Amino acid sequence: MNPIAQEMQNIAKELLTSGEVTAVIGWEKGTFWYQSTPVMITSAEEADKLIWDEFCQPNLSKYLLDYRLNEGKVAIFVKGCDARAFNRLLQDNQIERQKAYLIGIPCPGMKDHKQAALVEESAKDSVPLAKVCQSCRYPNPVVYDRLIGSEVTPRATEPDFSDVMALEAMTPDERYAFWQEQHTKCIRCYACRNACPACNCRNCIFSDSKSGWISKDVNTSENQFYAITRATHVAGRCVECGQCEMVCPSNIPIMLMNKKYIKDINDLFGKYDAGIDIDTPTPLGHYKLDDPEEFM
Amino acid sequence: MIVIDKNKLTDLLDALNQSYQVIVPAKSADLTQFMPYDAVKEKNAEIILNENTVLSPKWLFLPQSEGMYAFWAKNKKLEIVDLPSDLEKMRIVFPVRHCDVQGIACLDKVFLDERHVDGQYLEKREKTVVMALMCNNPKDSCFCASMGVDRAHANNTVADVQVYDLGSEYAFEALSDKGQQAVEAIKALGSEKTVAVPEVKEQKIKVNIEGLPEKLSGMFYDSIWDSFMFKCIGCGTCAFICPTCYCFDINNKIRGEEGVKLRTWDSCMFDEYMLMAGGHNPRPGKKERVRNRFLHKLEYFYENYQMMLCTGCGRCLRKCPMNVDIVKFINQANAK
Repeated sequence: MNPIAQEMQNIAKELLTSGEVTAVIGWEKGTFWYQSTPVMITSAEEADKLIWDEFCQPNLSKYLLDYRLNEGKVAIFVKGCDARAFNRLLQDNQIERQKAYLIGIPCPGMKDHKQAALVEESAKDSVPLAKVCQSCRYPNPVVYDRLIGSEVTPRATEPDFSDVMALEAMTPDERYAFWQEQHTKCIRCYACRNACPACNCRNCIFSDSKSGWISKDVNTSENQFYAITRATHVAGRCVECGQCEMVCPSNIPIMLMNKKYIKDINDLFGKYDAGIDIDTPTPLGHYKLDDPEEFM
Repeated sequence: MIVIDKNKLTDLLDALNQSYQVIVPAKSADLTQFMPYDAVKEKNAEIILNENTVLSPKWLFLPQSEGMYAFWAKNKKLEIVDLPSDLEKMRIVFPVRHCDVQGIACLDKVFLDERHVDGQYLEKREKTVVMALMCNNPKDSCFCASMGVDRAHANNTVADVQVYDLGSEYAFEALSDKGQQAVEAIKALGSEKTVAVPEVKEQKIKVNIEGLPEKLSGMFYDSIWDSFMFKCIGCGTCAFICPTCYCFDINNKIRGEEGVKLRTWDSCMFDEYMLMAGGHNPRPGKKERVRNRFLHKLEYFYENYQMMLCTGCGRCLRKCPMNVDIVKFINQANAK
């Protein structure tokens, strides 16, 4: 067995047997070889379900929202991006630090499960890393109570904005046509919102049709309104886990819009990476006297 | 049967497109779905014949958003106006796999129920010729055979033409008058032959549904839901890509003095789905919602219409973001 999976199982057993935690959230093998899916175990006997492989991309931190009112601690495994997502939820005052036990796992990068779904298992090695993982700068958990294995060298030191720059190089008409085509495909299933650790509003305006902000009519214009509002609302808080894009059934390049915001925020307010710590205020969540204000 | 060489696919579609609006499964902007053939040509999209599309053909009969009527409120007077039909021509959809044909049969039960025939749905059904394709090369996510779908013969309450994949050729057999007319339109491209129904490759996923509705009727309070609900993130992917999920919401879209009454897809996974006036939600959490989804598919619908509301198309197995797996659920329920 994979030594990391073995250690995950050992730790889960230990924590559940000692009663330090009431549940452990990790990954189990899914239906197909290219799926590893979240699982919650509550007894040491179930620990052998836990796995670690190149498809453990589901970000587990958001599941803590489901248990925030429970008594007792829940343990979760965190890769670099899960840890940033955990900080996101802490900084947004959604969860309490002492109610979670974080087991960090330095992440070698996850494979693109959508690409994998197109080939046979025998071609597994040819499946590329997920796009966000290819330029990951924080593969090592930034917060944890216990670490499995040793830290890995990040694949990149600077953010990769090459795709954003390609977008910026388009004429406004080309760019508009590009997003029109993408947002026409949106079926408004809200998987991107629900998978996102930064989307943690108790009442989302998109789940409240009587608010009048948006109707349930699914058309390019209202889909764009949804997409732009979502991206704007997570701007400055996106932890770049790429869940939105990974879960989108329509293959909309959602991270491209998020990254455009990240690049703009870096340019306007100085370099900022969300979820690295909880003390630095988010760039759009506070003001400084020297903030740019060209529009005023 | 009329047998036509697969090389003549474009001729076939062009021939049909003269008198029908042809709808085909195609891939455009990295998404596979059923699209008008005209749009396929315009966008230079790739026609997809060897796999199930991500989005099912459900929208052809139950569009994601559909106007029911328009209204104006002027000078304290209300005027209600019928919307024009958006179907000018007869449509033909080719090819539809048997799982999706069965999906349409499920929709028929609801929208053509003799107690209430839905006019807008009926019009779309009457104006569409369904060409069913027997697929002899199932994907690893296919389990239609287990859900009672006849892999050799499509549900003939829906299919107007049965198409057989003979390898390098397609064989067309008309099953209805509408279907006969469509076959007439392409007859010149092929020749009349007697054809044996091809062998089908067995599906990897097999699941036993024998006695399942009865069993589930006693499992409303079972602990299976506590463990099964965990993964679900409450999005609408499963319902929206499903060929059978038919729940809709009716709402107003009002701008100034005018408005449209809309029927739009809804998903029982959404928190707003069951929300009552006054703020009470009888299905407050994901346990209640996941339970409703599975029981509707595997128990309630069967009790009402003697068929399952799952056709084994496998879309949710592939696309559920967190892999909430209906086959695994059935196996676990059976083992209880």
